[in-house]
Amino acid sequence: MPGLSNSPETLTQSEDETAGDGVRAASRPWWLGLAVIAMGCVCLYGTTSLPQGARYGAIGPGLFVTIAGAGLIILGILLLVQIARGEKFEPQDAEDASGDEKANPVALATALAAAIVPIFTMDPLGLPITAMLSFTLVARSFGSRGWWLDAIYGALLGIASWFLFTRLGLQLGGFLPIAGI
Amino acid sequence: MHSFELLLQGFGVALQPTNLLYALLGSVLGTAIGVLPGIGPALTIALLLPVTISVAPTAAFIMFAGVLYGAMYGGSTTSILINTPGESGSMMTALEGNKMARKGRGAAALATAAIGSFVAGTIATILMTFAAPYIAELAFIFKPSDYFALITLAFTSVAVVMGTSRVRGFISLFIGLALGVVGIDKMTGAPRLTFGVPGLFDGIELTVVLVSLFAIGEILYVASRYKPGRDEVIPIKGLAFMTKEDWKRSWKPWLRGTALGFPIGALPAGGSEIPTMLSYTIERKLSKHKEEFGHGAIEGVAGPEAANNAAAAGILVPLLTLGLPTSATAAVLLAAFQNYGLQPGPFLFTSNPELIWGLIASLYIGNAMLLVLNLPLVGIWVRLLAIPRPQLYAGILVFAMIGIWGVSGQVTDLIVMVAVGIMGYVMRVYDFPIAPVLIGLILGPMAEVQLRTALAAAQGNPAVLVGTPLSATLLVIAVLFLLAPFVLKRLAK
Repeated sequence: MPGLSNSPETLTQSEDETAGDGVRAASRPWWLGLAVIAMGCVCLYGTTSLPQGARYGAIGPGLFVTIAGAGLIILGILLLVQIARGEKFEPQDAEDASGDEKANPVALATALAAAIVPIFTMDPLGLPITAMLSFTLVARSFGSRGWWLDAIYGALLGIASWFLFTRLGLQLGGFLPIAGI
Repeated sequence: MHSFELLLQGFGVALQPTNLLYALLGSVLGTAIGVLPGIGPALTIALLLPVTISVAPTAAFIMFAGVLYGAMYGGSTTSILINTPGESGSMMTALEGNKMARKGRGAAALATAAIGSFVAGTIATILMTFAAPYIAELAFIFKPSDYFALITLAFTSVAVVMGTSRVRGFISLFIGLALGVVGIDKMTGAPRLTFGVPGLFDGIELTVVLVSLFAIGEILYVASRYKPGRDEVIPIKGLAFMTKEDWKRSWKPWLRGTALGFPIGALPAGGSEIPTMLSYTIERKLSKHKEEFGHGAIEGVAGPEAANNAAAAGILVPLLTLGLPTSATAAVLLAAFQNYGLQPGPFLFTSNPELIWGLIASLYIGNAMLLVLNLPLVGIWVRLLAIPRPQLYAGILVFAMIGIWGVSGQVTDLIVMVAVGIMGYVMRVYDFPIAPVLIGLILGPMAEVQLRTALAAAQGNPAVLVGTPLSATLLVIAVLFLLAPFVLKRLAK
């Protein structure tokens, strides 16, 4: 997984920098073009072990990966050129968010934590507890103050979904694997 | 005539009680998610996929069609009553519809939107009924090189049309292409871009990427820029339904909107933005009440709403006949077909007529159901907005997690979820279009197979790619799409 998770993760680090650095860095997001080029390089690196051609004049499994990687590198360079020329990036508008609003790093980090928690808790603690933790964190990131109430809502939602979806045939793992249930 | 008989058989399928129930379920779910922020039709269908694996394909697709159409109706409700267009296609509706609601004409705006959607959806479905078999027939004479050219055309048009910048559109597309090659190569068995991680050998599922981009990316983005307490639902006063004058001013925009929406929606990368904007502009030009535009002109709701719904039906044409998705929702529908081991396209019309015609017939039924569900019950739907935002988004995250965990039960996919979710956040902050990622991810492997088959058959001679008149034409159009903005700029100077 190093290749694919790597590039987006470098994106966040730089994202935090831009948030802290203020207007100047945000208006010239060089890292964005570099991240695209990095993704392209990961693709090209992955082709080194793949044959580009095949017998009977056909093309091999490597060619398409090469095309994708080369394309990303060229596009990343084009993006850098655009950034150098002062390309404007306007955040998209969403239903409950305005693109003009300044990012709130604490809320972002809390929401991100909610997405990361399942990686560590899903296998040992099971879905209901994971749902409770993530639910509470997201609600918190949206400014909810009732920790306990949110935890109860999350746990109820997790337990109800676990029973419902397991019934419907989804493999959601144990109810509380660490206790052997 | 042949189509007509098949359609009747389709009605026989769609009117079976279980299928009717699934159509109702889909319509209700669709309307609900259309009203709720943060969750759209593509995400809903992706989350429903694992659950429907035990349901018969016909019933599942009937439900998905209900979700697709229902979301459209629900979206217009929020545009009119709280001025928050849920999707790009409802932007124009919000413009005039919300003004109408502020003037106490909310009921009339909702009615013209719902009836217009019904009229457009029905006409578009009729057009599809009769056009689809012919288009599907075309696909029989398609050679691999033609398919490759067609997919290339879809790629360029999606990357050019969606979003504000071509470079960023293509970056999205190429990220999708790169994600699409991950996994064991089907033709040779070589692992590609897996870097030794066993969890990646099966490739990265479209649903995982879609859920991560749309749910996780959206939650991160909205959480970071959340602005609470902006919702203010305009109450619908009395039952001031459409007056005679309203009908008179609405029916022509409905028809014109349909005429714009269906063909544009059927084109690769047509989408719903262009036809709704065109419809709004045209209605404004043609209206006898120009002064009302910007202050709540009913034509400005009727036309775009009809165009929006007709475009949604139009999107189904290339998907069902050629297996070519042109929007995020169509991409996830294609993934659903693949889940059932079905490949949409001409062969589906002959091998699975029951499914295809049952689906098309259910579109008629779904439209009628939605009209009934939406007009009298609009008050109930609006009440959904009372769900507090923190708990709503928290719930969406839990369902996203279940959707991803339930597909594979692999921690690798949860890691992919976080990585792609962060990417979705960055894409929103820097205004990259999201749909091209999904189109690239699902069409990339198809393009590759066609390219390799074509080249293998021609012993590696690349001339085969332009060997048929059709493939040459399609590739030329693709290049034109790419160059058109340059040329237009030159001409403008």
